[in-house]
Amino acid sequence: MKFWKRRNRCLWMAIAILLVCSLAAFATPETAPPAVPAAQAAPAAVPPTPAPAVAPPAMDVPLDTKAAAAPSVDELAKGDPSGTKIGTVSDVIAADSKKGLTLADLVNQAGQNRIAINFVWTLITGFLVMFMQAGFAVVETGLTRAKNANHTMMMNFMVYGFGLFAYWVCGFAIQMGSAGPYSTLGGGAGLTGEYTINLFGKPFGLWGTHGFFMTHGGAYDVAAMVMFLFQMVFMDTALTIVTGTCAERWKYLAFAVSSVFMGALTYPLFANWAWGGGWLSQLGTNFGLGHGYADFAGSGVVHSVGGVTALALGMMIGPRIGKYTRRGKPNAIPGHDITWVLTGCFILAFGWFGFNPGSTLAASGNGALRISSVAVNTMLAGCTGSFGAILYMWIRYGKPDASMSGNGLLAGLVAITAPSGFVNTIGAAIIGSVAGVLVCLSVEFFDRVIKVDDPVGAISVHGANGLWGVISVGLFADGTSNYGGSWNGVNGGVTGLFYGDPGQLVAQLIGVGTLIGFVFSLSYVSGWIIDIIIGQRVPAADELAGLDIPEMGALCYPEFVLKPEPEMEPAMAAGD
Amino acid sequence: MRIVGILVALAGWLVPLVALSMTQSTGARFGACVLGIIISLVGILGVLNGVHQADAIWKKG
Repeated sequence: MKFWKRRNRCLWMAIAILLVCSLAAFATPETAPPAVPAAQAAPAAVPPTPAPAVAPPAMDVPLDTKAAAAPSVDELAKGDPSGTKIGTVSDVIAADSKKGLTLADLVNQAGQNRIAINFVWTLITGFLVMFMQAGFAVVETGLTRAKNANHTMMMNFMVYGFGLFAYWVCGFAIQMGSAGPYSTLGGGAGLTGEYTINLFGKPFGLWGTHGFFMTHGGAYDVAAMVMFLFQMVFMDTALTIVTGTCAERWKYLAFAVSSVFMGALTYPLFANWAWGGGWLSQLGTNFGLGHGYADFAGSGVVHSVGGVTALALGMMIGPRIGKYTRRGKPNAIPGHDITWVLTGCFILAFGWFGFNPGSTLAASGNGALRISSVAVNTMLAGCTGSFGAILYMWIRYGKPDASMSGNGLLAGLVAITAPSGFVNTIGAAIIGSVAGVLVCLSVEFFDRVIKVDDPVGAISVHGANGLWGVISVGLFADGTSNYGGSWNGVNGGVTGLFYGDPGQLVAQLIGVGTLIGFVFSLSYVSGWIIDIIIGQRVPAADELAGLDIPEMGALCYPEFVLKPEPEMEPAMAAGD
Repeated sequence: MRIVGILVALAGWLVPLVALSMTQSTGARFGACVLGIIISLVGILGVLNGVHQADAIWKKG
């Protein structure tokens, strides 16, 4: 008992020291520079020095390239072990080989290089995000029972295909059909169609109308293809969140139809409002609310959409047999492989370096060098998230719970996703630590009070912390970001309440209200229709047997002897 | 009751939207947002979840 008290005292002291350090860092009299619109960057009081009148250089005159000292063919034939001979003026392509290299060729090469850097950056970060599907698959499978492992794995595997197909058919068009041209990728000029209504005397963009099947309305374009790949893997992340909450009792056909619907409509609609030029992004220009709804990498667009959809379906499908006693007391149903869970968390944390820094859609120009800050914020919030969760569990239950530590890491990452491009490291650390505690409280709330069974804690990790991430932009954004001088058409960097712009917090809250009120309702109604037509839940006998054989036709672990179900109250064992 | 729950959730979403046109005050808009979110949560966690809990699998004997 004494030991327990002493340990608790130590933990509380550690928390207190951390809080004091955070407050001290905040109290440092360092004033954030006011957001300066790019157009007003020059101080008005100082008269501009007149530039000397120099005639602009002719663009089409051949250049004297002798000073560049390109290596000769003989030198190159010897090989280049030090890597200093290649990548010179001889690698710049002249438009007219007879005329030779001109200034126009160099300028065009510089433009091509910038776009190429941004293409490669966005594609590679997109590939990282795609690999997060593997992380989700093993986290969810590890947190469910061995008798459902094939079913859970197959949901996570096929959600990629179902979602991709729906997004290719119409999802991308609805989301990004009016987002062109892209300032960082240099193309997409044909994607300019948005269905808009007038409300309160202002235009409200509702959905895009160009880009169906990636061929219509100028979508057959190399920059649009980059955008499609990057946005598709984000969409798929949202879809796979739902499979965790509904695991171990979701009918596979219902899952398939639900995923197609979500990839085709639910996700793209909200994503258009936030990222595709829709009405949420225009709250700044139309109503003077900060920079409009700002969600850098998708705490709201990706994670909250997935989280509230998971809540809608989890509520509808109901808890697993045996999760609650007849008196409503929750039983713990441990997952079958904590190794998978924590390995999956690491895979996800790795993929998050694509998720957040990649959301600049650039590594060159437009303030994109901030990718380093975004990456550090991401890393830091994940760390403080797991730290917050482990401390909470250690103090409350006396053990540093493994699965909740993993969920704390993910919660921190989810929460920092929206603000990662707008906040400093102190803000990121606070956002992550709050997320780590919030995920524990939220899991208990949904488990014990609301009684929505969520085997992997996805509603709390992605839903609750996604909403927290959206709100945190309105609190912690420090106004120093400058992605091309403006965000959502409003000059200057996104600035939250703590740095002087309460309007940004209101814009974020309107986004939160839309996620809870609209996205939840749309998900619930679509899920209800699927429930009526197909049925969402498997029969009780199948659930008790495990879904691997009844739903998938094969066991995940055929050579293992699975432990029989623990004895449950008679009513529970009978199911419905 | 399911439809009532959905309608309450949607009504909560409309509160801050309507407030956008009714006032320029950031404080009032903030209040409308908080009110709207609370109304939506009542619709979801109160009304809609209540319907499902009344028919919960663990209550069947």
